[in-house]
Amino acid sequence: MIGGIPLRQSARDPGPLAIAAAAGLAIITLFVLVYPAVYVLIGSFKPGGGLLSQAGTFTFENYLKIFRSGFSRFVLNSLVICAAATLVSTLLSIMAAYAFSRFNFPLKRTLFTGVLFGQVFPWIVLINPLFVAFAAMHLINSYVGMILTYTAFTIPFSVYMLVGYLVTVPKSLDEAAVLDGASRWQVIWLIICPVMLPGFVATATYAFLLCWTEYLFALAFLTQTELKTLPLGLYQYFGDDNVDWGAVMAASVVTTLPVFLLFLPIQGGISPGHTVGAVK
Amino acid sequence: MRSRLFIFAMLAPSFTLLALFYAYPIFKNLSMSFTDLSLLGMSRGGNWIGLDNYREILRSGDFGHILFNTLIWLTATSVAIRLLLGLVIAVLLNSTALRRLRMQTIARLGLLIPWATPPIVAVVIWRWLLDPQGAVNKALVGLGILDQPVAFFANVRTVWPAIVTIMVWNTVPLIALSLLSSLQSVPEDLYEAAELEGANQWQVFRYITLPFLMPAILVLGLMSVFWSFNNFVYVWLATGAGPGTLTNVLATEVYIKAFVDFRLGYSSAIGMVMALVMAIFGAVYLRLVARRQLEESL
Repeated sequence: MIGGIPLRQSARDPGPLAIAAAAGLAIITLFVLVYPAVYVLIGSFKPGGGLLSQAGTFTFENYLKIFRSGFSRFVLNSLVICAAATLVSTLLSIMAAYAFSRFNFPLKRTLFTGVLFGQVFPWIVLINPLFVAFAAMHLINSYVGMILTYTAFTIPFSVYMLVGYLVTVPKSLDEAAVLDGASRWQVIWLIICPVMLPGFVATATYAFLLCWTEYLFALAFLTQTELKTLPLGLYQYFGDDNVDWGAVMAASVVTTLPVFLLFLPIQGGISPGHTVGAVK
Repeated sequence: MRSRLFIFAMLAPSFTLLALFYAYPIFKNLSMSFTDLSLLGMSRGGNWIGLDNYREILRSGDFGHILFNTLIWLTATSVAIRLLLGLVIAVLLNSTALRRLRMQTIARLGLLIPWATPPIVAVVIWRWLLDPQGAVNKALVGLGILDQPVAFFANVRTVWPAIVTIMVWNTVPLIALSLLSSLQSVPEDLYEAAELEGANQWQVFRYITLPFLMPAILVLGLMSVFWSFNNFVYVWLATGAGPGTLTNVLATEVYIKAFVDFRLGYSSAIGMVMALVMAIFGAVYLRLVARRQLEESL
C-alpha cells in the first residue's frame, strides 16, 4: 500500500461474501467439535444426565452418587499407578535419550529404530503372552504389574520425544562440565536437567496422560474392583440393559478434567508433529 | 572404555523393559499360537497342535467379515474421512477470511477440546448423543428428518458410521492442527508468483498448497492407519463388537477369543495375523517415516 491506497487489488483478498461463508463454516465446525464435550459437562449437573428429564434443575447428585459408590478408589488407583509409571519411565527415558543424543555406539541406529517401532506397535498382540506371564508371576491384579506395564509402554514415546529435545542442547555444555571434573551422570541431572526441564515436564505429562486414559491393559490385568483404574470404573456404570447416564457423565468429567488441565498448558509449547505419538 | 560402560548403563534399564514387554511377548505369542492353550488351564499349559489354529482361522466364515471390518471400516474409511476433514479444517483456519476475523485462536482452542478428550470419554459422549433419547435423535425428529428415533449403535446400517464418527471427532483435531502448521510454512512468495501468473484459487490449492502438504499428509495418514488398525477401544466400548458380531474387528476378536471364550491359543494365532499385516505397514513406515525421524533425531 502506498499512501493508504491499495497498490493492487489482490486476487486472494476475500469479499464480504467469502468472509461470511468462511465464518459460517468455521462456526458449524466449531459447534460440532465443542458441543458434545460441553453437553456432557452440563449433563453431569442434571438429574439422569439430562437425558430423560426436561427440567433444567441443577444438581451435584451425580457427583455425590459416584463418590459415595466408591469412585474415589478408582481415582486413587489411577493416580498411584500413573504417577509411579510416569516417574520411572521418564527417568529411564532421560538416561536412554541422553545416550542417544550424545554418543555414537554400535547398534545405535538399530536400537533407535526399535524405539520408533515401539511407538506404533500393536499392544493388543502383546496381551495374551503378557497375561500368561503375569499370571505365573502373580502380577495380575497388582499395582506393580500395572506400573511395570505402563512404564514399558510409555518408554518408546518418551525416548523419542526426549531425544528431540536433547539434540537441541549443545554438546559443548556437557564437555565444559566434564572438563571441570563433573561425571556424565552429574552432567545429566545437574547441567542438562535444569536447561531442559520444560521438555522433561512436557514428556512426563504426555506419558502420564497416556497411562491415565489407557483401557486395554487395565481391562485385561485388573479384575478386582478395588484395584481398577478410572477408565474401567467409568465403564462399570454401563449396565447391560440400562445406563446410569448421570453417573456416567459425572465420571466422564472427573476423568477428563485432569487431562484438560495438564494438556492445555503444554500443548502450546510443542509442535503437533512432535506429539503425533502421544495419541494412541 | 569408561564411556562404553556408561552408555550401556544408560540404555540397559529401558531396553531391558522393552525386551521384556515387546520382544519376548511377540515370540511367546508365536509359540502360543501353535497350541490349544486355554485361559482356564494356564498352569497345565497347552498341547502342541501345529497349524490347526491357523487352519481354523482360514476356514471360519467369520474371519473374512472381521478382516473386511478392520481394513475397510475401522481403517480405510475412518482414516480417509479424518484426513479429508482435517485438510478442510486446516485450509479453512488458514484462509485469509478467517484470519481477517481473528478467529484462529478460538478455533485452535475449539480443536483442543476433542483432542484432549480421552477415547473412552469420547465413546461415552457419542453413545449419549446418539442414544434413541439423545440430542441427535431429538434434533433429527424435531426437524422432521426422522419419523422416529433411531438406535444408531443397534441399527445394522448406522452402527459403522456411528463408530467412525466417534473416531473422527476424537482424532481430527490432531490432523487439522498438524496440517495447519504445515500450511503456515508454505513460502508466501509461491502464492505471490502464482497470483502474478493469474492462477485461480483452485489452481493455487491444487498445484501449490497440496503438493507442499503431501509429505505431512502421508505421515499423518500412515500414523492414523496404525492407530486405527490396532484400535480396540472404540469398537469394544461403543458396541462390544455387536450387534451380534456385526462390528467385530481383529483387535476385539483377539480379546473376545482369549478373555470371553478362554481360547488363548486361537486368540494368539489371530494376533499373529494382525502382526503380519502390521509388518507390511511397518515396512512402509520404515521407508517413509522412521528413516526421516532417524535422520532428524540422530
